[in-house]
Amino acid sequence: MKLTHDEWTLDHLKVHLQYAVDLEFWTIPFYMSAMYSIKDRSDPAFQLIRTVVNQEMLHMQCAANMANAFGLSPTVEAPTYEGTTIPHLDFGLDDPKVIAPYLPYTAEIGPLDLEHINAMCLIEIPDYDTGEKQVELYAGTEEYGSIGAFYEALRLGASLLKENIRGGVQQVDAFAPFYNNMPQMVVSESRSDGLNQVILLIELITEQGEGQSKTDTSIPSVFQNTADDMSPDDDHFEKFNMIKDSAKGKGKLPATYIGKPRGKYTAEDKKVEAILIEQFTELRGALKGLFGGKNPENFFPVMASVGGSIRNCWKHGVTPKFS
Amino acid sequence: MKNNSIFRVHPTINFARFGTSEDYILAPETSAGLPQDGTDTTGGLPIRKGSETKPVTSKDLRDEEGNLKKQAARYRIYAYDQANTHSYPEGAGTEVVVGTKLPDGRKVVDLIWSSHLANKKAAAYNVVNNKGILAYKDAVPQLRNPETHGDIDSAYRLNRLMIDAGPRAISASSNEGAKFDRCTRASCVRKGGKIKKLPEYPIRFPSDTNSRLFEPNGPLDSLGEMLTDEKGRLLVLASSGNAVGQYDEYGVPIQMTGDLNNVGWFDSAADGPISVTLKFDDGSTEDAFGAWVVCGDPAYAPQIRNVVSVWDDVYDMFVRELGLQPELYGSKKGQKKTAYKASYRPTFAADIQPVFIACDLQRWTANLPPLALRAHTAVRAIDEDDDPDRTIMAALNFLRNPNKDETNIGTPLMPLSLGAAGTSFLTVTKTQYFLLEQWSKGKFKKGRGSKLGPGEAMDVAALANCLGGRYVPGIEVSYTIKDQEIYIQDWQKSGAGPFRVKHYPLTYRKLNSETPYLTSGWIPLHDMADGLQPGDISKFMATPWQTDYNSCSIHATAINTDGVNESNGAETTLYWSWPSQRPDAVYVAEEVVNNVLPKQKWSIRGPGTFAVNPAQAATFQDPLQSVNDWDKIGIIVQGSNVEIGDREFSPDLYLEVQGLLTATGEATDPVASWPFNANPSKKPPKCPPH
Repeated sequence: MKLTHDEWTLDHLKVHLQYAVDLEFWTIPFYMSAMYSIKDRSDPAFQLIRTVVNQEMLHMQCAANMANAFGLSPTVEAPTYEGTTIPHLDFGLDDPKVIAPYLPYTAEIGPLDLEHINAMCLIEIPDYDTGEKQVELYAGTEEYGSIGAFYEALRLGASLLKENIRGGVQQVDAFAPFYNNMPQMVVSESRSDGLNQVILLIELITEQGEGQSKTDTSIPSVFQNTADDMSPDDDHFEKFNMIKDSAKGKGKLPATYIGKPRGKYTAEDKKVEAILIEQFTELRGALKGLFGGKNPENFFPVMASVGGSIRNCWKHGVTPKFS
Repeated sequence: MKNNSIFRVHPTINFARFGTSEDYILAPETSAGLPQDGTDTTGGLPIRKGSETKPVTSKDLRDEEGNLKKQAARYRIYAYDQANTHSYPEGAGTEVVVGTKLPDGRKVVDLIWSSHLANKKAAAYNVVNNKGILAYKDAVPQLRNPETHGDIDSAYRLNRLMIDAGPRAISASSNEGAKFDRCTRASCVRKGGKIKKLPEYPIRFPSDTNSRLFEPNGPLDSLGEMLTDEKGRLLVLASSGNAVGQYDEYGVPIQMTGDLNNVGWFDSAADGPISVTLKFDDGSTEDAFGAWVVCGDPAYAPQIRNVVSVWDDVYDMFVRELGLQPELYGSKKGQKKTAYKASYRPTFAADIQPVFIACDLQRWTANLPPLALRAHTAVRAIDEDDDPDRTIMAALNFLRNPNKDETNIGTPLMPLSLGAAGTSFLTVTKTQYFLLEQWSKGKFKKGRGSKLGPGEAMDVAALANCLGGRYVPGIEVSYTIKDQEIYIQDWQKSGAGPFRVKHYPLTYRKLNSETPYLTSGWIPLHDMADGLQPGDISKFMATPWQTDYNSCSIHATAINTDGVNESNGAETTLYWSWPSQRPDAVYVAEEVVNNVLPKQKWSIRGPGTFAVNPAQAATFQDPLQSVNDWDKIGIIVQGSNVEIGDREFSPDLYLEVQGLLTATGEATDPVASWPFNANPSKKPPKCPPH
């Protein structure tokens, strides 16, 4: 349901902010699983995905910081990876010519193969329509035509409710040293000054990855990683296309571990699968605590352990499972 | 009773460290950072003078005038049953001192110790920081001080550039000491343990051939000293660590222009063989298998364990090349190909946990970000009862694999410090990695594992307390320490045991005071297997030592790779060079209140250290200041051994004490949180359009 500016409420905004957290979080296990399936960690594909995963974590932090600034401590639910359902991607709304190069795709967890790199490109595909548009606000987050339109609505919606912004509330700042050109990655101020910070975070998300409306794929220097990115000026879509294009040139994607049929899982295989599920559940709790101001000491160790467990699953021939 | 004992000196390689004080403490005999029975104090701390094992506290590090105490290398003799010398570890060994009665009834009446210290740095080849040992492959690097005429072995060059204090021999029962200085007469041991004076020995110091020298910390007239303790054990003291420079033709001290190969400069580092002859009450004598001493840099963070230590490197080489433990590495019956044995089970406490502890200890000397600290804490918390698959180290997901091409991958792989020559990042050794892989697969043992004999434990401890992995060129020793050619390779058959440097046979006959006795000595990759002369280990190090210690704080990876960034990160991102051995960022004990940590400070800080470019942070900006002020740098000590008034510090903390570079409250360069970056290089000016 389309909303007028007057109908737009803080509750609507909070729903949108939670959705932003969900959107960003969905990509992390999906991308990490593809990355850790690559046997050779020095392969550029591995390294490119690594940089995107790090930025998805950053985006999640940004979304959560914005949510907290508006009084919402976000939840972190287990994402669903089924069929071809990627949150908020309805390719029926897109130009078939734009989508065609990235078919077929899958939304199920798996190794870096054609269907997964296609899905990764589709998730990050920019909104090429750069013309003047009326920004619409909807009650339901699923009503937006693209992630770009969603983030535009978030920007507008935040602006309309800027008086509700309270700076310094449960802000997380884990990535600042990796972005020397970025003034700040938290919402430390209230109201108008806080809104400037909120909009900066939205721009960071959309310029690095999802939802940008632009004709080139380079990231402005302010949003570029200055520490550990082999291709800091390329956005996610460009990075994933580099992998896809490189595979075309070589005739294949990098060698990956392959998941065996579940029926062939050994007791050891089942054990490592269960450990991953257990640790991922623990991670969701830690993230919720992190964005809820609880400063959980185990957050990063658990996050790292999940990475290890994904790798461990692949080494056992087990396709990672998160819930 | 038939004499079936053999005698060996331990540690096989030990380290005496510089100090500006005449007083000294003793080199540690425990391994850095590792738990010790019955105490909270971890291993690696030096030992109090006159004590068997009591570790120092912060008050023992300087004398009353504030001078840094030297660290003496203590050597002991152990007797072994000749029949059991074919495997490692032997787990045996009985210490022999003056007065010891052997099983065959003989009593030790004297120990005649001898050594010979030299410093060949100025006469040797340049250190090539991006080539390492490969600089010697089918070639040799450029000579240091090439303006001094002659080839590497010319008497002209050696007379002017080599510092040779000559040999000294002392009797333990006579409680003698001997200085390796310019004016003490050389002496050696002859048949029957007799000490012979060598008045013709060509002792060489820089002042012999330079009428005038720039001596900012006094004349360079000694390379050290040796003496014995009350039981007849040998103590070797290093020099004061000073350095001197020549004047140029304008009468100006030659400026130090780099960190490794400064022309016209000499330092007082040294190394050489240790030998001992045992004299018995029946008039017989026996020689022990000797050892080696390296005199060099102070230990500024003695308990902060290196992820890769010299021990790890030497052990790795002996395992893979000299048949140290066939049950761990070797060939299958009837096959030539060698490999690690899948059946081998490492012991968690001895083989795995030290790496995890080292990982966690880096926080006390490097400016790690908070998230990394928490991850490191989780690594340290892993114990032998944990299922590896449930730990943060599952699948060794964050460990760089030395068997693969991963040295250019930085984050998130560990260790995240700079690597060996030609590589961006450090890896654990292949043996460390194999042992960790076995643990990761659940193939490991709990408990203490194979027990080292007391001498063997000292060998491990001495080497484990030194910087390994990144020999560019290193702190105590360089890459040559991994070259099997320098060791007694038939360690089983000879009875010498492993890790023992082969002594080049020096007879000290036909001496001529005008002609250098030592030659340029051993170099790698040139089929020179006849042993090392004095000075053949330290000559691969920087000259003077202070400039390298000073500069090797933090760098971009390109410093290792011909100036081109090959890492997966930004070319300006800075990483630590030797974070455990050369502290970068530290917590000052004086500033800790109620065990709450203050902000970190650079280890080298205060006037003369302010850096415009973060790449030069934590260093003396003028290399001459490093020569003058190295002894004022603080030492990192565990909280349990920090003594400041009646304050109590947690043993969980490792804090800087006895630093003299700044006083409390003085401004210093702030320590950035990692990752931090060097200033970008300036673009060349554009030419006007044609």
